[in-house]
Amino acid sequence: MDFSVIHGNLAYLLWGSWPDGPLGGAALTALLSIGSALASAALGLLLGVMLAMSCGRLKTALILGLGFFRAIPVLMLIFWTYFLLPIAFGIDVPGILSVMCALSLIGGAYLAHSVCAGIRGIGRGQWQAGLSLGFSRLNVLRYIVLPQALRMMLPSFINQWVSLIKDTSLAYIVGVGELSFLAAQVNSRTMVYPAEIFLFVGAIYFTLCSALDVMARQLGKRYRSATHSH
Amino acid sequence: MKLHSFVLVGLLLVSGLAQADRLDDIKKAGVLRVAAFDGNPPFGYIDEHSKKIVGLDVDYAEALARKLGVKLELVPTNPANRIPLLSSNKVDLVFANFTITEERAKVIDFSIPYIASGQQFLAKKGVLKSPDQIKDLKIGADKGTTMESTLREKYPSARVISFDDTPFALAALRNGNVQAITQDGTKLVALLANLPDRDKYEIPSFAISEELEGVGVPKGEKRLVEYINTWLLDAEKDGTAKRIYDKYFGPKSKSPLPRLFKIGDSHIREK
Repeated sequence: MDFSVIHGNLAYLLWGSWPDGPLGGAALTALLSIGSALASAALGLLLGVMLAMSCGRLKTALILGLGFFRAIPVLMLIFWTYFLLPIAFGIDVPGILSVMCALSLIGGAYLAHSVCAGIRGIGRGQWQAGLSLGFSRLNVLRYIVLPQALRMMLPSFINQWVSLIKDTSLAYIVGVGELSFLAAQVNSRTMVYPAEIFLFVGAIYFTLCSALDVMARQLGKRYRSATHSH
Repeated sequence: MKLHSFVLVGLLLVSGLAQADRLDDIKKAGVLRVAAFDGNPPFGYIDEHSKKIVGLDVDYAEALARKLGVKLELVPTNPANRIPLLSSNKVDLVFANFTITEERAKVIDFSIPYIASGQQFLAKKGVLKSPDQIKDLKIGADKGTTMESTLREKYPSARVISFDDTPFALAALRNGNVQAITQDGTKLVALLANLPDRDKYEIPSFAISEELEGVGVPKGEKRLVEYINTWLLDAEKDGTAKRIYDKYFGPKSKSPLPRLFKIGDSHIREK
């Protein structure tokens, strides 16, 4: 093992050719992950609440829509947005945006079901208590049900975000210069150090995912103690 | 509502046809968008110091951009993305060791070839001596290349393993997952020159096909193709083509290889 290849390309793997060129590498992976994590959380929350509160045709449409995004591979969705939208409709979506869209839509679809399950998991008594106190349905949801449900959903959110961080590596298909893409470039030039390079890449993904896990747990703890002190 | 969106799509299609002259579009935009390899030395790869895409294909693209008087914008590509990038209008041209084939010419257009080579093999010394051994070997090829399809066609009993890019195929060869890898002779020579243990490997002298590589152009852009062809022939006349070739394959380069093809030729010359 000769890790001097990592040393020589460390800056490139961590932030690409920035500041002379576009940001790339681990920094872009982190940015892609943060962007899609926030968007998928917002989408998941919105769609999950709609799924839990709706009935009839709207509910059927939601279930079908969410089912569609859960059923197609992330890679396909990235490929479609990047290559097929311009051919079919003349809409040009840049690579980074198509990756973020695909990850947010698919992550959002998964999270919607977790959110819906979380809301359903709160007992009917809580709803009835809120309604009989004169809260509207929306306010019961906002002040009584969601704060409890979100706490239970936190592990599902972390799971989804961890898998999302790793899925950013699929951006290679449309040439977005995130960590794995740049690692493949360095590997192509140096040719004979694939083990060293991809071990290092693995270590970075591990660090990113563990950091997210630790941060989310800390946040969860603080949130829990804050709600208990009421 | 439905009708409305139909009309919209129709308008988009018509407007797409109306402004079909890409040559004017490029000049107007002031930018030439070119897809080039980022992992295929010496044709297109990331330079160790500048961290930018450089290589033989890039030198040609730069020369063309200079001639057009526009800025060059490079988009990294792998072999399989070359045609999708062109047909989805993400790039104007492809300079990526692009072998001209009838099959590909159905969906895109090509310029005249500016470099040529034969499909050859790289293997541990003594493993591959003649073409009739190919059928018994496990061979690594790059996904979406002519190497892959030619090999499957000519040697159906050979076990062809496809990799995303050449470095992965090379890693498989070094680890013993495959017994040989196949590529353009030009690329293999450069690959071998970069190996630290190059004396263990060899490139058997036979070639199983002739590969002529040109510029990939969107389908139907006749003026653009003509412009590029004239420019390429000029590049041969004024010595630009030889200078670019010698930078990577000349006698003083890392991987010297005699120049057996000149722009304007229809075949590789005999040695």
